[in-house]
Amino acid sequence: MKNFKNYIYILAATAFFAACKPSIDTPNFNHGTADFTRYISVGNSLTSGYADGGLYLAGQQNSFPSMIATQMQAVGGGSFSQPLFSAAQSNGSGYIKLTGFDANGSPITAAVTTNLAYRDPTFFTKYTGNLENYGVPGIKLLHITLPYYGNLNPYFERLLPGVAPANTNTSYLSFITTKPFTFFTNWLGNNDALGYATGGGGGYTGADALTDKATFASLYNLLINSLTATGAKGACATIPDVTTIPYFTTVTPGLLLAGAQAAAQKAGVTPLPAAIYITASTNAAATTYGVRAATASDLVTLTFPTALLGKPTTDPVSGAVTNPYPYGLHPNNPIDSKYILDPNEVALVKDYVSSYNATIKSVAAAKGLAVFDAFTFLTNLKNNGLTVNGVNLTSGYISGGVFSLDGVHLTPRGYAIVANEFIKAINSQYSANVPQVNVANYNGVVFP
Amino acid sequence: MRRILLIGLTLLPFLGMAQGFQVNLLGEKQIGMGHTGAALLQDGASVVFNPGAVAMLPQNYIQGGFSPLLFQSTFLADGSSQQVHNANKIATPFSGYAVWGPKQAPWKLGIGVYTPFGGLTDWGNTWQGRYALESLNLNAIYIQPTLSVKLASYLSIGAGFVYDIGNVDLTKAIPLASAGAADGQARLKGSGHGYGWNVGVYAKTEIGMTVGLTYRSQVDTKITAGNTTFTVPASLASSFPNGTFAASIPLPSTMTLGLGFYPTPKWTLAVDINYVDWKPYTSLDFTYSTTTSALQNTRSPRDYRDGFAFRGGAEYKATTKTALRFGGGYGISPVQDGYVTPEAPDANRYYVTAGLGLKVTTGLDLDMSFEYEHVNSRNQTNIESQLAGTFRTNVFIPGLGLVYHW
Repeated sequence: MKNFKNYIYILAATAFFAACKPSIDTPNFNHGTADFTRYISVGNSLTSGYADGGLYLAGQQNSFPSMIATQMQAVGGGSFSQPLFSAAQSNGSGYIKLTGFDANGSPITAAVTTNLAYRDPTFFTKYTGNLENYGVPGIKLLHITLPYYGNLNPYFERLLPGVAPANTNTSYLSFITTKPFTFFTNWLGNNDALGYATGGGGGYTGADALTDKATFASLYNLLINSLTATGAKGACATIPDVTTIPYFTTVTPGLLLAGAQAAAQKAGVTPLPAAIYITASTNAAATTYGVRAATASDLVTLTFPTALLGKPTTDPVSGAVTNPYPYGLHPNNPIDSKYILDPNEVALVKDYVSSYNATIKSVAAAKGLAVFDAFTFLTNLKNNGLTVNGVNLTSGYISGGVFSLDGVHLTPRGYAIVANEFIKAINSQYSANVPQVNVANYNGVVFP
Repeated sequence: MRRILLIGLTLLPFLGMAQGFQVNLLGEKQIGMGHTGAALLQDGASVVFNPGAVAMLPQNYIQGGFSPLLFQSTFLADGSSQQVHNANKIATPFSGYAVWGPKQAPWKLGIGVYTPFGGLTDWGNTWQGRYALESLNLNAIYIQPTLSVKLASYLSIGAGFVYDIGNVDLTKAIPLASAGAADGQARLKGSGHGYGWNVGVYAKTEIGMTVGLTYRSQVDTKITAGNTTFTVPASLASSFPNGTFAASIPLPSTMTLGLGFYPTPKWTLAVDINYVDWKPYTSLDFTYSTTTSALQNTRSPRDYRDGFAFRGGAEYKATTKTALRFGGGYGISPVQDGYVTPEAPDANRYYVTAGLGLKVTTGLDLDMSFEYEHVNSRNQTNIESQLAGTFRTNVFIPGLGLVYHW
């Protein structure tokens, strides 16, 4: 019994020491030479928190600007309001979610179509509260001075006080600069190249165009001059190489051919398909198009409907056969240009992106702004991967953890990494010490 | 005899727990004196401190001790203000020894059961390093029969055989979120065993100083069929089949040189220099019985280097019935820059110890010890996980032992 009493004393002593946890001095967080009193974010879908092919509440809540703003609040940053969808309309524009994998391990997705935020077939329910996140999905730098842009882009119209079509003559640039601000992040310009690329380049009616380089430079100067006119400081991001995103790297001609051959073998069809036929540009300027067999240099969009491959083409309305040859497997019925970014188009996009980025860097440097080089960062991610807190990340589709199900926009974890890259650039440019986002708090793709 | 049984039974609940990858809690008298003892004849703990000294022990012994250990570690991620603390879990290294030999015989037999390696840490499943580690409970129990022979009145040698029972229970998060945004989990739990040996020499010099030199061999502990339990989103379950894993860990060899000094009959002074050959621990590998594209065998680099510890201690016999002990030491971490992990957030460390020995009766000693250990704070970015931040650790270890001798 005497011993037992001793154990009690020892346990009591241990409990006492349990209270003495070692502590580590936290670094001195400060805003340096920047002022985060009112931080606004300027940009497109990436800035808005768009993910999985749509803008929805959960994505908005995990936008990189809101993460940055939260970190800034530790060093004098103000409140940060986003145009959040209401809980009742939390699925916003709708999005896609992963529902499982088929026997080949290919992902199966389904559209989320409930609790959407549309007030009519085109436009969304208006947002009327305070606003610091000005990210507008789809917007190009080319659009920032357009009056009535709200008539063209429902995501912008949603933020405006006026109602389309008559009262939306406010341009994006004047809208974001109406209220004073002290700090901004700007990640505009992606869509000036990405729109062309994700649409498979040119070669068909309705194809998107690359924004002229000189126009880009002049608008970028105008934008930055306006943003810094009242002394605000900020950070700009460059435009990624479109060929680093899983939207272009997941589906390949080799995979399509292997799939077609396997299907043919299973069905007992001989000879096996020898090639994938595509509509691709035939000159370096990508102005003339013709049919040829695909090579490994041709990029296929993630949106390519693989179910149509090898089948006769039918009219979507009447169901009548419009082309009897197997789609994509015969030169007489090649894959449409809109699904293929061929090497000429790739070179063209790369050239434009490189020019845009030169503009972004030089304008930012002239104004003493911080720069997050998204181009270099995502190229490194593709080439080398990235390890954060024990998680190995790549630019792979779904498995990579960074890109969401649309293959273009990021997962919450991807946006957290981007937020940290912005913060690093801001800290370095403005001698600040804004704390980092805890990336582990944000998930990658959600699995069923 | 009944009392002896009672001592044995009291120790039972603490079997199977240990703490700190290398755990130097091998005898309460020795802990009180800063873990010195290779050149001393204190009690049956000589079985591990120096099997060569066992034959010189003046009596026969049966004894046991345990040291409930509180390992308190804090992590601060770079660029963050959120300190993370590991959970308060009490590990209990223990030791038990029996030494017997006929009076006047030049030999003695001994057996020791002790826990020289182990680790118990639990960072929880919400901290930023959870994909590297959530919790680890690792322990190695050495069982060591020993024979020691007195070659001359001033020289004795001894050797022991070591059978090691090793247990590991490791959990970490898998970065796969399900709809509830919870992470996947991996748990690896298994046990294995290994073999080793140790030898020692003990000498009394003409100037009254005693010298001890010991060597404990490396013990490769192999787990051949531990159980894996993966919890992942349902759609990925087939990519993470539950099965078995194999792993092995080389528990390092240690060499100790000890000196004992006896300036007055009341004072005993000791110094030990301890060298631990951690170099064979180059990586921690897990091999799974079934692998998939998502579940691959892992190889985590460790690249430990040699570790050293410098220890000093003193005992003062205040009265015929009480002894006061104190000591301290400094240890050089085997973990190199870039390889610090949450499982062993190691750095160079110093420690101070104190002890009180009471003669309850002529045949029974009650020894108490207390140790405070401070692991220096260390800012690191792990090469493998890129987990970047500062670890800081304190360890508090009260201890209690009973020695019956005749």
